[in-house]
Amino acid sequence: MKIQSEKVRNIGISAHIDSGKTTLTERILFYTRRIHAMHDVKGKDGVGATMDSMELERERGITIASAATYCQWQDHQINIIDTPGHVDFTIEVERSLRVLDGAVLVLCAVGGVQSQSITVDQQMKRYQVPCIAFINKCDRSGANPFRVISQLTSKLSHNAVALQIPIGLEGDFKGVIDLISMKAIYFEGENGETLRIDQIPSSLVSEAESKREELQNAASLFSDELTEAILEGSPVTEEMIVEAVRIGTLTRKLTPVIMGSAYKNKGVQPLLDGVNRYLPSPSEVRNEAFDLDRDEETVNLENDPDKPVVALAFKLEDGQYGQLTYIRVYQGTIAKGATLNNSRTGKKVKIGRLVRMHADQMEDIDAIPSGQIGALFGIECSSGDTFVSPGLNLAMTSMYVPAPVISLAVAAQDNKSQVNMAKALGRFTKEDPTFRTHVDPETSETIIEGMGELHLEVYIERMRREYNVELKTGNPRVAYRETITKQAEFNYTHKKQTGGAGQFAKVAGFMEPTADESSFVNEIRGGTIPTQFIPACEKGFIKCLEKGPNLGFPIVGVKFTINDGGFHAVDSSDIAFQAATKGAFLEGYAKARPVILEPIMKVAVETLSEYQGPVMGLLNQRRGMILGVQDEGSHCVVESQVPLAEMFGFSTILRSATQGKAQFTMEFAQYRQVPQVIAEKLIEEAASRKKSAA
Amino acid sequence: MIETLSALQKILKIPGAGEAASLPKGGLGAVLAHAGIGKTALMVQLALREMSAGGKVLHISLEDPLKKVDLWYRELLNNLIKQNPAATSGLSEELLANRFIMIFKVDGFTAPKLEERLSELIEQNIFSPDLLIIDGLHFDGASRPILLQLKDFAARLGLRIWFTVHTHRYEEPLPDGMIERFSLVKDLFSSVFRLSHEDEKVLLIPLQGIPEQNEKFYLDPSTLLVNNG
Repeated sequence: MKIQSEKVRNIGISAHIDSGKTTLTERILFYTRRIHAMHDVKGKDGVGATMDSMELERERGITIASAATYCQWQDHQINIIDTPGHVDFTIEVERSLRVLDGAVLVLCAVGGVQSQSITVDQQMKRYQVPCIAFINKCDRSGANPFRVISQLTSKLSHNAVALQIPIGLEGDFKGVIDLISMKAIYFEGENGETLRIDQIPSSLVSEAESKREELQNAASLFSDELTEAILEGSPVTEEMIVEAVRIGTLTRKLTPVIMGSAYKNKGVQPLLDGVNRYLPSPSEVRNEAFDLDRDEETVNLENDPDKPVVALAFKLEDGQYGQLTYIRVYQGTIAKGATLNNSRTGKKVKIGRLVRMHADQMEDIDAIPSGQIGALFGIECSSGDTFVSPGLNLAMTSMYVPAPVISLAVAAQDNKSQVNMAKALGRFTKEDPTFRTHVDPETSETIIEGMGELHLEVYIERMRREYNVELKTGNPRVAYRETITKQAEFNYTHKKQTGGAGQFAKVAGFMEPTADESSFVNEIRGGTIPTQFIPACEKGFIKCLEKGPNLGFPIVGVKFTINDGGFHAVDSSDIAFQAATKGAFLEGYAKARPVILEPIMKVAVETLSEYQGPVMGLLNQRRGMILGVQDEGSHCVVESQVPLAEMFGFSTILRSATQGKAQFTMEFAQYRQVPQVIAEKLIEEAASRKKSAA
Repeated sequence: MIETLSALQKILKIPGAGEAASLPKGGLGAVLAHAGIGKTALMVQLALREMSAGGKVLHISLEDPLKKVDLWYRELLNNLIKQNPAATSGLSEELLANRFIMIFKVDGFTAPKLEERLSELIEQNIFSPDLLIIDGLHFDGASRPILLQLKDFAARLGLRIWFTVHTHRYEEPLPDGMIERFSLVKDLFSSVFRLSHEDEKVLLIPLQGIPEQNEKFYLDPSTLLVNNG
């Protein structure tokens, strides 16, 4: 069936972990007839929700990979990306938001706006993604959707307005009152699939009227027609309110709020209506690309299937038939058999099989038109690559990729595992730019690097399960950095005369700390170092930055200036100047009061107010700097900055200190100097490790 | 570092800084102003002044989220550091370690609750403040009980407390420069300032407990730092 682009919705479902977004997606797929049975996330029935396609996700009850799926509701086609909720995987969330046009922000009616919702909301802001909110779990004890709405306003600065009010709450949650049609909606039938529309219960009429007035007032800011109707007292039609709310939502100035309980099969169909009504179609979103031929000038893309193709590969997966590349087409149409260019590599690719995904099942299609999401088979590429029609040289906006903060040594137990591990690591690094790997030249260990303990743990588990790798892991290591704190001079002569050709080079100058990236400055006058040897000096300097003399971690923030030197007509060479620069660097570095920097994480712990003291105590013991405490009545949020090195195993300790009534999120904040006592200990440990490796 | 701190203190020109602005132990101070004039900016500078002298500040906000309060400090510190070439890059972090932010909802804020929270911090050796900033408390005759409780608690713990007082444009100032609803509790305060627009400048006008100044002090509109002249 051909669907007009106005009736396409590309949406993400983003939320705090355990807000029930996977259950919600599952229910959406059920009501849109993509699946014919519903399962629980944690697999009480041993099946697991459809969107959690990886075995590991089912076991842990969390969503790791964003499985894309599509469905139809009324006459609209909805492409859904189920996004992970844990902060360790936010690169996945960010990627999803990059390719989506709108999002559903799922919030728990009990927990409200939690710290992860704040992170996800900031990401939505960054990519200007319009959203509607769904307050889930209205059937749970302690549910209070209006408290959540006020938190949306106070904590996330959303202009949130309820489109519904609940009929009963907690165990008595029966349905919702739609404030636009002013009708009660009950969800009946075995799975809530039958909607019974009825009059508003008399006990809720006055509340419904006052909330409707609030809705009208909020919506009237976006429609003159609605404002006039209100002022003149003429009838306000449903269409007027819907249109005004839609305009407000598309400009991110209004957040319509829908409520229900996905688990109890209530409120999901009105949410789907909300997606169709209020979230944008691909044509309503402005997308830009960079023209690589014109100094990265921005080019507006048109959501026109007949124009040349511009598409972004946003996710890779290893399927049983090879690499599966999820792609969003922004302009043109990708058809089977067409030839496209990969703008990053410049290589031509021929499009073979095209599919539309439904979690881990797929359906073959002939073309993916602009505005749509689909998947390609047999294309070699990395995540984030742009595909264009021949003749175009455009790249979609590059995505912000944070540097890894933690590393771990992994060793395969046998040859077969070694081969599989190499395959797995190759795949993971292509799939996830925040996951990196390298071999330590000194210890010959394979090192994996990522954004947090859980991030690495999940990849280790995936290696074990999906690639049958038997492996041993070392202790996680923090990605320290080294730097200098004062200016120091150097004057070093490299001289070697041990038979054969001699080596001679002299390098002098000074080094100083800089807040910018490290740099090499050439201030040689009068040819004391001949021009042809300057690149060798720079190369020597860059090599020195790779491994600091104290811990062996990269050196940052050094400005290295050479202003004098010496050479020998016969014995000077590139190698001699590289060696001299290295000697000069080490001489200056020792005098420049070197220090070690460590990654500091922003840690937000949410807990009941009674555990505020113990939580602060725990953070304090970990060299944490507590920024403050936000009191939320029954619970509170403690915000702090804690060195990553102190955060290993924190979740277990936090659980036991609060009887499981606390959760935390952690993300990288900045690098900061390690206290002297700890720095000395780290240097000692590094030295003994070096000794044992030798 | 010490030179930098004393330079910062010099830049933080707050009238009567050496005497009344420092408040006696157990003393209360207030800054009266309309919305958006710079009450929080002035409060943050009083806090920074305390912090740069080695004191510790507990900033309590009943209006703004934690991030916004933190941002106020970082912005003003950046402006101060820009005026002081000797400042090092680690200065902000070092100073901010002397500050703790607590956010309460207006209706959830009570003196016993604050005391309970603060005792936890002190007992666990996490943070022991010298100065409290309370931003966003409502003032009228009914505020006397909570102010008395806070004054008593400040005296017991040897703390000093600065408050912001939000005034409205429709409230005519009394002859002494105060507003009527604050007058009902002014006897509890050692020092009171008012921030007021005058010729496109925001002037700091001492109202109570602050010795007569020879110079006029105002908030620089571009940096929101206190300046004189």
